[in-house]
Amino acid sequence: MENSAQKFDAQVLSRISTLKMTAMNLVEGLLTGRHRSRHKGSSVEFAEYKDYSPGDEIRHIDWKVVGKTDKYHVKQFEQSTNLKCTILLDASGSMNYQSPLNGHASKMEYARNLVAALSYLLLKQFDAVGLTLFNDQVVEHIPPRSKASHFQHILHGLANISPQGTTQIADVLGGLAEILPRRSMLILVSDFFIQNQDLKKSLKLLCSRGLEVILFHVLHPDEIHLPFEGDMVFESLEEDPTIGLDPQDIREEYQNVIQDHIDSFKKDCNGLGVDYVFLDTSEPLDQALSYYLLKRKSLIKL
Amino acid sequence: MSLNFSSPMFLFGLLGISIPVLIHLLTRRQQKQIRFSAVYLLAQSQKRSIRKSRPNKLLLLLARCLAIVLLSLALANPLFSFRQSEAFLSTSPASIVFILDDSYSMRTQSKDKTLFDHALEYVSKGLQQAPENSEFSLVLASSPARVEQDWTSDKSTFSNKLKAQIASYRTTNIGDAIDKSIKLLESAEQKKKKILLLTDLDKNGWKEETFSEVEHLSPYLVQVLNFSQLQSDDNKGMVQSVKVTQEFLTQSRLLRVKATIKNFSSTVSRMPLSLFLEGKLVKEELIDIPPGQTLVQEFSYPLRRNQPLNGKVQISDDALPADNFRYFPFHPSQNIQVLVVDGDPETISHKSESFYLERALNPFSVSLSHIDPTVSTLSELLLRNLSDFAVVILANVSELPPDYELELEKFVLNGGALLFGMGDQVNAKYFNERLGNLLPVKLDSQYHTQEGNLHLLLKNNTHPVMQAFSPKTLEEMRRINFYSIYTVQAREDKKFKVGTWFSNQHPAVIESETGKGIVVVFLSSLDRDWNDFPIQPTYLPWIQRWTQYAARGLENISQQNLVVGEPFHQSAQESRWIVRTPDGTLHPLENDIFSDTFQPGVYHLFSSPGTAEQKALAKLPQGAESAGTFIVNIDTRESEPGKISQKEIESFLSGLEMEFLEPQTQTTRPQTSDGVPLATPFLLMVAGMLLIEGWMVRKE
Repeated sequence: MENSAQKFDAQVLSRISTLKMTAMNLVEGLLTGRHRSRHKGSSVEFAEYKDYSPGDEIRHIDWKVVGKTDKYHVKQFEQSTNLKCTILLDASGSMNYQSPLNGHASKMEYARNLVAALSYLLLKQFDAVGLTLFNDQVVEHIPPRSKASHFQHILHGLANISPQGTTQIADVLGGLAEILPRRSMLILVSDFFIQNQDLKKSLKLLCSRGLEVILFHVLHPDEIHLPFEGDMVFESLEEDPTIGLDPQDIREEYQNVIQDHIDSFKKDCNGLGVDYVFLDTSEPLDQALSYYLLKRKSLIKL
Repeated sequence: MSLNFSSPMFLFGLLGISIPVLIHLLTRRQQKQIRFSAVYLLAQSQKRSIRKSRPNKLLLLLARCLAIVLLSLALANPLFSFRQSEAFLSTSPASIVFILDDSYSMRTQSKDKTLFDHALEYVSKGLQQAPENSEFSLVLASSPARVEQDWTSDKSTFSNKLKAQIASYRTTNIGDAIDKSIKLLESAEQKKKKILLLTDLDKNGWKEETFSEVEHLSPYLVQVLNFSQLQSDDNKGMVQSVKVTQEFLTQSRLLRVKATIKNFSSTVSRMPLSLFLEGKLVKEELIDIPPGQTLVQEFSYPLRRNQPLNGKVQISDDALPADNFRYFPFHPSQNIQVLVVDGDPETISHKSESFYLERALNPFSVSLSHIDPTVSTLSELLLRNLSDFAVVILANVSELPPDYELELEKFVLNGGALLFGMGDQVNAKYFNERLGNLLPVKLDSQYHTQEGNLHLLLKNNTHPVMQAFSPKTLEEMRRINFYSIYTVQAREDKKFKVGTWFSNQHPAVIESETGKGIVVVFLSSLDRDWNDFPIQPTYLPWIQRWTQYAARGLENISQQNLVVGEPFHQSAQESRWIVRTPDGTLHPLENDIFSDTFQPGVYHLFSSPGTAEQKALAKLPQGAESAGTFIVNIDTRESEPGKISQKEIESFLSGLEMEFLEPQTQTTRPQTSDGVPLATPFLLMVAGMLLIEGWMVRKE
């Protein structure tokens, strides 16, 4: 655990501890007591009566009303709950890209910091955080917990990632949609190098189940700009066939292709009301996070 | 089809392709390997990139290598030949019989070569490309068809045999040639068997009767190559025949030469006609012959000497020169001139000694027997010139004029013939003393007998004169009665043969060679005094044949006017005969026949002492003397321009698989004798490659 902790930037963790993240669609509070829930449940504040029906808890029957009306009514209270957030981290081979040109952190390193920061932030707000690692299937699943000590589990899970395999994000999301609790939050961190997979359809499914989804699209600058020179043989980190070419020949076209790739995600997310955050590993992580949280805050104020 | 190189040394230039390969290898940048995440996006980009048409370095290398290869090939001057026809297109070994039509119609000119040369060239070239282990044989189709080369797998042997062939002056006999070829194929070793017939399809060579013996049961393939298509010009005409007569004028004689000229052309109606005598041009005329017609043109030429002549009639040259001339012989005196010396002339003609003899030698006033008798008495003898006669017959002569025996000896030594007939006037003593050099025997005495006791003994008579008579004639001859004969004694210093015996074992006819001449003695009378012979029908042929036999020499050989291939007959007798062909080679006569008459022209005959031993002679032996000439001409049927159709050929050769091919011509394609030069197209391709290479480099 000590080793795992050393992997994370202490400065980043301390910075993000000051940031607050509030949910946008769900009214549940980011911190306990600060938000009221739309959902009915057991709490201290009465909401309304409801006719008893089998299965309702007997202890919620208002016996006074029974005495007066000879009818069974159940008391309902406004629920005040914590947020359950599942962070989905792409652990496929492509996330392990390390540039031969410069010392930028690999996408996986960057994503780990991101996930750790988000987990810390959420746990600090007493929200439950879980972590799921996937490539073409779910590799590891840590269910959401709100205990402060749970952060150690998260860190442990992150420390043990060894990126490999192909990305089958649509299948994974389809499976998770069944088991994730409704009205929770899903944070998806990936490079989204997915071929012939309909991510939009999967996202639509998640949204329909009342999940709030945030996409963090992490790319390395090499993957955006293709800065290589000379005849090169590109071997795939996943399972694509090897290709030999002079990057200079296709650089311009590649940049267009990757930009189209990003734009299409952005467009799909906007259409579905999904938050999309593009992260370039050359940019400092705290800036990106701060920018996102500020943006979320400004939207709530509206 | 074949590709040959005139300068194959330049092919070493192909090694030059190593230069661009080296450059390519040296300048190739080292490829870096990198593990990348978005490889599938790279592939997508490469597909969509407009710069993907940037030339591949391998293509550039290929263009450079091709340029060098093409340049080397162009410098080596390649020649592409279509000439190799499908006749030789085979991958498996075959047994091929080449039937080469070497008749004189194949001498037809096509540019600077004859059709025969084209056919030879075709076979020679095809031979080189025939599959290994193939076997070949050669049949010549000129009459008589013959196998020139039996099966051989050795291409060089066969090629040498081909090179030795020249077109003949004979006619064609395709039927026999195919017959011989089929027999050859039956003994062939390879499974694949075929006949390749190279001919001009002259109709004369395809006679139905010659195909009757061809066995059509074997399904061999016959490929017919028609070389007449290569003919660049037509055979415009020919000299069909020449007839020579003479006309006697008061002081001199005229030679009349009637030449029959045939015009094959459809346009030409006028052609020059020349008369040559003894090799010299003596007359030339322009004659008008309508196209397709025949004309008889007569030349007259005054004769000054009474000597045999050889001449030639010639028309202008055309595609087939072989039929443009024709030789003819002329003999001023074609009859055997015989001098009959009557030793017992009477005023009543039928009682004369010569009465029966003269009529037997020439029964009619017009000479039909080719024997021209002249009767002379002893007193007239001195007025006669013996050199005008071939034969002298002394019939019942008692004594000759003084010293006339010397004239007779000279006459016989020079080749004249002397016949003696006996009778009551004959002075045996005079004969034995004065004519000892001529008479091979001594006259002994007269022998008289009763009627019916003495006959000719004719059984098993092998003498050439007697052989000609039928047994019936001989039986008639045997019944003739002889009453008186002369008995003889042999002379020790003389050789003689007894031609016929009497039944009492006395000689009847004695002959002896003296010098070049011959002496024949009949030991009874030539009139009816001593026998019944002159009134018998057999007397006439008997005396004529003895006269002709005795008068062998210039006249009788000259009767022979032959066509190419027809044998020449000459009785060899004791002397040796030598024939000089028109090309100057000498051949001794064997078995009285000379068969090598395959060249048209004048053949000279020489007589030489001794016997023939050698096959060929380098030069005439000493003492050889000219004994006359004979003429050989071509058979003009081969010149007729008709060609046989494919349909007719198929009907003649029904049962055989037929294929008609066409030899490639030089006129259809602008090619050298060896093929189409490809240097220029190759150089153009080099230029094209360099342009492409330049464009690629610029694009990079």
